[in-house]
Amino acid sequence: MEPLLRVEGLSKRFPQVVANDDLSLDVRRGEIHCLLGENGAGKTTLAECLYGFFKPDAGRIFFRGQPVRLSSPSDAIALGIGMVHQHFVLVPPLTVVENVVAGTPSAGVLLDLAGAKRDLETLCRKYGVDLDLEARVWQLSVGKQQWVEILKALYVGSELLILDEPTAVLTPQETDRFFATLRQMTREGLSILLITHKLNEVMQVSDRVTVLRKGRLVATVQTAEVTPADLARMMVGREVVFRIEREAIHRGEAVLEVEGLRALDDKGQPALRGVSFNLHRREILGVAGIAGNGQKELFEVLAGIRRAGQGQVRLQGASILNRSPGEIMARGVGHIPEDRIHEGLIPDFSVAENLVLGQQRSPLYRRGPFLDPERIAKFARTCVSSFDIATPTVRHPARFLSGGNLQKVILAREFGQCPQCLLANQPTRGLDVGVIEYVHRRLLEKRAEGVGILLASEDLEEILSLSDRVAVLFKGQIMGIFESSQASLEEIGLLMAGVRGETA
Amino acid sequence: MTGTRRGLRFPYRLERRSDVGRWAQLAWLIVAIVAALIASGLLLLTAGADVVEAFGALFGGGFGGWREILETLVRATPLILTGLAAALAFRAKVWNIGGEGQLFAGAMAGYWAFTLFAGLPPVALFLVVIAAAAAGGAAVGWLAALLKTRFNVDEIISTVMMNYIVMFFLSLMLSGVGPWREQGSYYQQSAMLPESAQFLVLLPRSRLHVGFLLAVLAAMAIHILLTRTPLGYEIRAIGFNPTAARFKGTNVPKVMAVTLAISGALAGLAGAGELFGLQHRLVMDLSNGLGYTGIIVAMLANLHPLGVVLAAILFGGLTNGAFRLQVATGVPSAFTFAIQAIVLLFVISASILSSFRVRTVSDVD
Repeated sequence: MEPLLRVEGLSKRFPQVVANDDLSLDVRRGEIHCLLGENGAGKTTLAECLYGFFKPDAGRIFFRGQPVRLSSPSDAIALGIGMVHQHFVLVPPLTVVENVVAGTPSAGVLLDLAGAKRDLETLCRKYGVDLDLEARVWQLSVGKQQWVEILKALYVGSELLILDEPTAVLTPQETDRFFATLRQMTREGLSILLITHKLNEVMQVSDRVTVLRKGRLVATVQTAEVTPADLARMMVGREVVFRIEREAIHRGEAVLEVEGLRALDDKGQPALRGVSFNLHRREILGVAGIAGNGQKELFEVLAGIRRAGQGQVRLQGASILNRSPGEIMARGVGHIPEDRIHEGLIPDFSVAENLVLGQQRSPLYRRGPFLDPERIAKFARTCVSSFDIATPTVRHPARFLSGGNLQKVILAREFGQCPQCLLANQPTRGLDVGVIEYVHRRLLEKRAEGVGILLASEDLEEILSLSDRVAVLFKGQIMGIFESSQASLEEIGLLMAGVRGETA
Repeated sequence: MTGTRRGLRFPYRLERRSDVGRWAQLAWLIVAIVAALIASGLLLLTAGADVVEAFGALFGGGFGGWREILETLVRATPLILTGLAAALAFRAKVWNIGGEGQLFAGAMAGYWAFTLFAGLPPVALFLVVIAAAAAGGAAVGWLAALLKTRFNVDEIISTVMMNYIVMFFLSLMLSGVGPWREQGSYYQQSAMLPESAQFLVLLPRSRLHVGFLLAVLAAMAIHILLTRTPLGYEIRAIGFNPTAARFKGTNVPKVMAVTLAISGALAGLAGAGELFGLQHRLVMDLSNGLGYTGIIVAMLANLHPLGVVLAAILFGGLTNGAFRLQVATGVPSAFTFAIQAIVLLFVISASILSSFRVRTVSDVD
């Protein structure tokens, strides 16, 4: 039978890279087809080509056996190709029905909301989607908002649904339910192209998987016929060590004491509602939680970037609450911010200038009132070699570096400035497997040196394998703190969703 | 259906380049200036002028001889300083449009200092006067920074508004009831400055005064400030990414205030130069838009302090050339503003175009 979608020899080049190089694959009717690869492997670029967002430089696309040319997403939608991006496009004050109907081509001048609601109810029943159609979008969890996006795609009659990293916003339990619903959708005849870099998801849900590496297609295989280790090797190009060797060390005294911390988010809503914990020397304290439950605000308050309304933060017994970022930094607290490009670096500055960011007034890099370019360059060269940063010279602008190398620049800078404690918010997000291994190793080294590390990550397995203790954050409150050796994934998953179990 | 449509496809595509080399930038600049001159020539044709004669007058008037060149440097002097004022602020992405007002504030502060210290020996008076002028411009710049960081008032609005406040204040001081009005004068102007207060003329039988040296020194100082000092590092950092600078301990409001103060001081020095070096009395048309032209000069120089000197000399020459143009061909000297604008448009377009390249694409179907 002719597959629903067939791609032949698709290539897409960008100025610096060939994002897709001669890719050929097909998606059959009623299958879940995973697109697996590291960041920068070209998964999203391929998806955007199929959705008409990018024009491929070469190659042919067939849909239902017909050659098609997609000049814009509206072409794709007209054909029956829908896509849900990582960032949602929803209107928070409107209801689910209103969000779905607004922007559909058939909407016309007067909206038939009642009719639309009937159609949506039918869709939800058919695919087993559990969603309150009259709820306003801002009232919904991020996971539910994703369903609104999916309903939008289904409502306009998509036969092929492209989902870009849909589980990033879900708890483990939500992910299970999400996958079950996807299964039912494929039984009803839909086809799904699922973009992911998580091996366990591929194994759990897909019929077939296509692995991309550096823009090239490695192979398309039946999921049942491969192991996760096979896929990892295909994805990275070499054997990958999954287990992190974390030697047991006795943790030291508390270095950072946090008590009853309250703070607002950017919209003025309470983001931290009484957070208390102690961070000890020689330990990694993991902060588990779904994105948007106060992690960003917690790290920013501790680093002095955001003002706390109430509470107390003590570093080695001395209060650092609401001190300036510069002062907290000077007392030996390093900070790896969540958004490395916008918060951690100045992309237009050279690698060397970025490595001394925050230290520009230090006598270490000055001669009299002037900056000493030679001392800065010397320090930068030391960092480049000890952190294995791939850059032609230290004078090269940072914006030309890959995400992994940018993160190494931040690590090199912060590691030199954090004798007391290190605040690491999402230090491995979006990095390749090889660099992630490297970051893990360096964090554990830092822990062994006696530094207390606060670590937040969206990857629960990363937290459990790196941390000595895990704190679960939900809606600005700590639901519990566990020794990671005694915590179970299920228990933490429930707490992440705000469910306090009887066993806890 | 769209999918099966086949049509002609444009086989070229514009693509962003990752980096543009120094020489490529220079080549683009030359292309832009030549193109701007061709466009200006077309404009001259519509004015009914003989294009060859007109350009001859324009360049002869600006750079045709020793005397013309010196006069061009006189015109360039305030533009270097107002250009630096704009360039420094813009490097921090602080949009100081108040060069005009800061220039007048500098001139007024300088004049006030002269009225207080007129008895000092010339060198001491010179130092007092330029210090006061710099402080006057800096105060106006700093006020805009205060409004921005305390009350979140957009600096574009506040600096432009301040231009009017300063100008009307000067108008008041020179009015019939004002203390600075020349006794018995029919015009709105102050008394002539005594020779002891006037800036030293550098070359005999020219109008080139010591303010020119001051401007060139200022350009070098600003260049060193930006490239070699912690403050310059912070100015560039908040221009590129204020969030990251703030995350790493830079006090962004303070750096903004210092930047605007230095920027205002530079414009204030321009005012002192025009008053004590050239006009020798305080008048309402001391500037005629030098503060605004400085913005164009800064853009033309790509915000580079040493480039500002060259761009200011180019614009100074254009201004002088335009006077001869008017005499020789009857084209009004206001034509110089048209040329300045055309040059700016072409140079900015070129700097954007130079970051792209054309690539051929193979057909997708």
